[in-house]
Amino acid sequence: MTDTPARIPGERAALIWGVLATILVVVASIGVFLVAPGDADQGIVQRIFYFHVAIAIVSLVAFAVACVAGILFLRTRRERWDDVGEAAIRIGLLFSVLVVITGSIWAKASWGTWWVWSDPRLVTYLIVVLIYAAYFVLRSSAEDDRRMRYSAIYSIAGFASVPLSFYSVRVAESFVHPVVFTRGGANMPGSMLVWFVVSQAAILALFIALLEVELVGRRSERALRQLVLRLENP
Amino acid sequence: MRGRQLAALVRKDLRLELRTRETIVAMVLFAIVMLVILEFGLGTRDGDLTRFAGGLMWVTLAFTAVLGVGRSYVAEREQRVLDGLLVAPVPRVVLLGAKAIAILIYMAAVEVVVIPLVGIFFVKGPYWDSIGWIAITALLADVCIALAGTLFSGLALFTRARDLILPVLFLPALVPVVIAGAGATHAVAGGPHDMSEWRGYCLFLAAYAILFALVSVATYDAVFDD
Repeated sequence: MTDTPARIPGERAALIWGVLATILVVVASIGVFLVAPGDADQGIVQRIFYFHVAIAIVSLVAFAVACVAGILFLRTRRERWDDVGEAAIRIGLLFSVLVVITGSIWAKASWGTWWVWSDPRLVTYLIVVLIYAAYFVLRSSAEDDRRMRYSAIYSIAGFASVPLSFYSVRVAESFVHPVVFTRGGANMPGSMLVWFVVSQAAILALFIALLEVELVGRRSERALRQLVLRLENP
Repeated sequence: MRGRQLAALVRKDLRLELRTRETIVAMVLFAIVMLVILEFGLGTRDGDLTRFAGGLMWVTLAFTAVLGVGRSYVAEREQRVLDGLLVAPVPRVVLLGAKAIAILIYMAAVEVVVIPLVGIFFVKGPYWDSIGWIAITALLADVCIALAGTLFSGLALFTRARDLILPVLFLPALVPVVIAGAGATHAVAGGPHDMSEWRGYCLFLAAYAILFALVSVATYDAVFDD
């Protein structure tokens, strides 16, 4: 028997990322709402863009992480990659829902309607949400080894569907969506770009922190289960 | 060697289908019922649905595909054919290819009925001249449906509530196929004959098929890994 409490690996990293994410989110919120210059035509509503775009980018990062975790799981069959994949998709799905909601708020303010089917990005995100919501339905209806394998395969196939959804709604191009980043560079003044970068960093840090917390939670749950098993069968 | 294995497996599925005639007949009937329901659901009994013909066609075909794909592994599971196939020295990729070809043939059989019916029911204007272009679109989309369908039905096969899981997995992945299929059909059917738009959608379908073929080949070994 040891007296020192066993530490769950990753606990410290989760704490550090959590603190960092909190600081960055606070700084970004202050910058976006109080410091950054307002948009000449759109006014306050334009400020949602700082978070809307940052969350959209990070949600795609999350799905990419899940796809890579899926590939690594199929190669190594180690449970930790299943944990990473599931946690990344959980957070990515949450972020995608936020993208759809913030996009819808913007649509209401700028175009006067909550939903615009002709805007490719909004529609794409709706499809992405549906694709990744199905991941959890699949997970909940398969057991143990199959659950992990199927989840890994689906996270790869799902990630392949993302660019397809993006292009399918764009084949007949009709752009109402404001395009901020073009090949010629960012389409905004430097004072806005700074705050955009800060909020992007904040959302990314938030994603990493949430991922770490999820993973620590999963590990401690597993440790607890093992402990219970050991106590029941001494 | 692999070619013979593939041919034997496809023949097995088709022979089973020809003897029972369960799947294709049900799929065709289902598709016709869908078209009728869509017509009444839209509530325009005297209106002109030409603009929506492509959409109606591909919504119908997508749901019919879910039905057919869901049936495609029934014999394998219920009569335990799968156990035999997995023990046999056949690469999993051949199993994937054979099942995809069988699904493709089922879909093509349904389309032989559905494509003309859409023309008769919904299109006012030139349609029959474009039937070749529509057939090419359908074939490309069928390859997409077959590949994605084989992968997802393999995943759904041993889950609880698999009949419910398959549409939930498969339909979101089919949304791009429906968009492209409807877009390409609309581009050539009943009026605007926009070949560049048609080509764009068909190229998209080809890209979809290639991407799903790659994903399926890379992951199919892991689907049946028990």
